[in-house]
Amino acid sequence: MAKNDIARYFKNIKDAVATIFEGMTVTCSHFVRKPYTIQYPDRVPVRIQDTLPFRYRGILEVDLEICTGCLACERACPIDCIVIDAPKDQKTKEMLLTRFDIDIAKCMYCGLCSEVCPTGSIHHTTEFEGADFSLESMIRRFVKAPVVAYKAKKEGETDPVVAPILERGMRYIQEFAEPADMKKLKAEQKSAAA
Amino acid sequence: MSLAGYEVEVQRDGGLTTEEMTLNMGPQHPSTHGVLRFIVKADGEVMRTAIPDIGYLHRSIEKISEKVGYHGFMPYTDRVDYVSAMQCNQGWGMVCERIANIEVPRRGEFCRVIACELGRIASHLLAVGAMVQDIGAYTPFLHALREREKINNLLEELCGARLTFNYMRIGGVAWDLPTGYPETVTAFLDQFDPLIDEYHDLISYNKVYVERLASVGVVSKEEAINYNLVGPNLRASGFKYDVRRDEPYSIYSELEFDVPVGTGEVGTLGDCFDRYMVRMKEMRESCKIVRQCLNMMPPGPVLAKVARKLKPPSGDAYIRVEGSRGDMGWYVVSDGSEFPYRTKIRTGSFAAMSIVDKVSRGLMIADLIALIASFDVVAPEVDR
Repeated sequence: MAKNDIARYFKNIKDAVATIFEGMTVTCSHFVRKPYTIQYPDRVPVRIQDTLPFRYRGILEVDLEICTGCLACERACPIDCIVIDAPKDQKTKEMLLTRFDIDIAKCMYCGLCSEVCPTGSIHHTTEFEGADFSLESMIRRFVKAPVVAYKAKKEGETDPVVAPILERGMRYIQEFAEPADMKKLKAEQKSAAA
Repeated sequence: MSLAGYEVEVQRDGGLTTEEMTLNMGPQHPSTHGVLRFIVKADGEVMRTAIPDIGYLHRSIEKISEKVGYHGFMPYTDRVDYVSAMQCNQGWGMVCERIANIEVPRRGEFCRVIACELGRIASHLLAVGAMVQDIGAYTPFLHALREREKINNLLEELCGARLTFNYMRIGGVAWDLPTGYPETVTAFLDQFDPLIDEYHDLISYNKVYVERLASVGVVSKEEAINYNLVGPNLRASGFKYDVRRDEPYSIYSELEFDVPVGTGEVGTLGDCFDRYMVRMKEMRESCKIVRQCLNMMPPGPVLAKVARKLKPPSGDAYIRVEGSRGDMGWYVVSDGSEFPYRTKIRTGSFAAMSIVDKVSRGLMIADLIALIASFDVVAPEVDR
């Protein structure tokens, strides 16, 4: 009995050393493999923001030039971090955007708002470094001075300033929010034309 | 003398006073995987009981669903089980489709299954990695996380987020696979398959590791059924039950995969090592499923047409999905309005917590760490 115990004791030690050696060969093989880690943020060859995929949902941004003031994003937001004021101008009968705030501290980057946007005005950027010292500074206020809401033109956009922004927006919703919303947009454009 | 509501008996033996010690493990203990607390009554180093105290991470997710509506609740389901959020997404999507009679396009189902199985591999990688780390080996944890990082990159490319995916919608998925995605995933799987063997070499049969897990925390088949264990924990006890196989949902009935069960290869059936091994085997099965899906994928739309203000007819629906931590139940009651009347989520981690008290009796305190890690408890899933 005691002899068996001693034999088992030494066998255990032998097994432990053998299996640890086996594991160590795997560990040591990593000396000759390519390292997988990068030294963020100082020594990255390319900015991380530029390597992220197109669908990456980073901090939200709004292109006010093409915002229609439809409030679809405000309604879609599950946590109400988007606040828009869009009253009607009494004289010109045009919709004015007087406030477009997004509370980045509250935002949970779900992407529901950019999905419903008909022009791709509100969209996610690949920016993710948003740390700051106070909660107030996390509120992004996009309206500096009241602007007139964008209206879709049936003959297509010709303004040299707005056209490239609209093109970017359309490309964004085509690639980001397809397939549900292109149909809706086309239907809207049709009804606007008619 | 009473502490935290539990009577502590004072024993007198030959003039020397000994007493049971009440220890608080957690809520901020690195090995409890989140904010969990165990009230341990120990006699020396042997535990009499370890009573889990839960509720530190309760965020009223079920109640939130009654305020944000059917579509708006989808991002919140990511937070139910943040380690494998895809299956939670699918659960909520499926229960809403059941109650509102929505048919998911076939390609959408394939996208869902691919995303879910990738998520399952990532979740199991974290489970086995964290388990090894809790036992005391640090290197395998980094190996597991490195592979998990690659899956995170894949999912980021697919849906734009690394953890809180919000990929699925009621009626399908939000985005189709990006161009060249099948090739990327296949390349990943090709290099991942041999790495499972490497992981086995690295740690699985390491003598020290096996000694820590073999015949520790044994849960017999009957106990597992009585305590309602689900998923890998149940299968490790030798009971072959998987929602994907026994109550196939989505397209799982068309796919071929095995359901690995515990074998008791180094100790008793249903011990910690079996639970570890079942997860390792399941990763391989998930790889198989993803490969099949990529081959079988039909063209077509991925999202059905669903009203933006979804108003399902009044009634209730219950569905089950196989999450990474087992059978996940989703129940929703509709009263015909655009907000659910009541939502109930049933999760696997909660069931696993109930058996900890029973299994931990007579174990060493250090074994409690191995036990919790082997159950793969994720604290937010316990509380919701």
